[in-house]
Amino acid sequence: MNTQVLYNVGHQEAFGLFIAIYFYLTGLSAGSFILSTLAYGFGIKQYRPLGRIGVVMATGLLIAAPIFLLFHIGVPFRAWHLFVYLNFESPITWGSFLLVLYPINCIIYGYFMFKEELKLTRIFGLIGIPLAISVHGYTGFILAFGKARALWNTALMPLLFLVSAIVSGIALMILVCIIKDRFFSPEKKINVGLIMSLGKILAWTIIFDLFLVGCDLIVLSISHSDAQAAARLLMGGEFSLMFLVVENLLGKIIPFLLLTIPRFRTLATVTIASILIVIGIFFMRYVVVLGGEAIPLI
Amino acid sequence: MKNTKKRYAMLLDLRRCIGCQTCAVACKSENNVPLGVWRSWVKKVEKGEYPHVQEISLPIVCNNCEKPICVTVCPVVASIQRPDGIVYIDPHRCIGCRYCMAACPYGVRYINPQTGIAEKCYWCHHRVDAGLEPACVAACPMSALIFGDLNDPDSEIAKAVAENAVQVIKPEMGTEPHAFYIGLDITAVEAKQNKKE
Repeated sequence: MNTQVLYNVGHQEAFGLFIAIYFYLTGLSAGSFILSTLAYGFGIKQYRPLGRIGVVMATGLLIAAPIFLLFHIGVPFRAWHLFVYLNFESPITWGSFLLVLYPINCIIYGYFMFKEELKLTRIFGLIGIPLAISVHGYTGFILAFGKARALWNTALMPLLFLVSAIVSGIALMILVCIIKDRFFSPEKKINVGLIMSLGKILAWTIIFDLFLVGCDLIVLSISHSDAQAAARLLMGGEFSLMFLVVENLLGKIIPFLLLTIPRFRTLATVTIASILIVIGIFFMRYVVVLGGEAIPLI
Repeated sequence: MKNTKKRYAMLLDLRRCIGCQTCAVACKSENNVPLGVWRSWVKKVEKGEYPHVQEISLPIVCNNCEKPICVTVCPVVASIQRPDGIVYIDPHRCIGCRYCMAACPYGVRYINPQTGIAEKCYWCHHRVDAGLEPACVAACPMSALIFGDLNDPDSEIAKAVAENAVQVIKPEMGTEPHAFYIGLDITAVEAKQNKKE
């Protein structure tokens, strides 16, 4: 049947670029924090050099992230309402508390780490892991509660966000380690063994991420009409270039090949793979947030 | 048995609607709605091919749902459901986080470009509380809109909803909308903007 919309009212964008950046930064923060606890929380000695870098990155990124929320909201001077008028059904209220508790815990954890008080570092590191998971996982719930948006309304969303957070966190960690060792360490020598071992973890998390994205896409493409429209949007529509080429080909598949095929695996290729991933995951946030709103509701 | 609790509802009879947009204009004027945003409007969809063609008019207002997702997600309790079912926004509390706009399945909320806070149709509760009808209902030249207390069996709306086949938009969302339609065409609801086929 031929149908044509003759007149309708356009709708404002609910969540835009600032929200995508916010999700990206909290993801990077949670990923870096979890890496820093590998040595100081779980005692894996090999990853000791990541501890201090990780906690500084996690704290800095998480302090920067809410600034984008203030840019986003219409009345920034009322942000204190979030702590006074509470609605525990709303993921944003969960977030108001997580965004306070998590950086405080990061600072305490970092303080003890720099003081070399290993027992206390370990305690705050282990307390921080559920906080780090929550501070990024809750952003997945923010989107999943948008029940009319097919791309958002999936129980996979928090997990998808967490896995991509760890992917981007490891990639950024590799880049920061290389820059720090190359330019700011006394011996100016890169710890290649550490970078390569991070590269291996990175390759496996990419596979898990691709698996989740694939599951999501397959179910979307056979589900209700809005879900099918969302799948078409990603596979051939407005967002397909960003989704297929930037996010998945350049941001996941090529880095995975660079990281796993032995003859490609050098310090240079691991660096290139990490740069591609850090860019690719940003586009993942962008595609999920903006793509979810691209299908008109009515 | 008579339910003494009020539950306001609206009935939009599409057999009567001529798509004149009077409701949209009355709403804008009553509620000082700024340029570029709308609390209510009439979506128009053309269906079929000449000579078998129909222009469908679909007036849209807030559904003032029984289980409003906007109230669930509002992080500062600025979206509030009154005991009579009307959902309104406290303009002194809203921070403009746009979460309600992201969550509402009906796209009836907007950010007021002058104040930065969210606004929506609340069935003109300032008029209703004063004993008047909402502006759109009062203005409709075809009497296509009926407003009243659904729990009062003697009200016009309770009778009309009981005696006619009524539908709501997107019942699958589980929000229990309370804007009922007579003669709702699913084509008009599902037709998306700029769909070229």
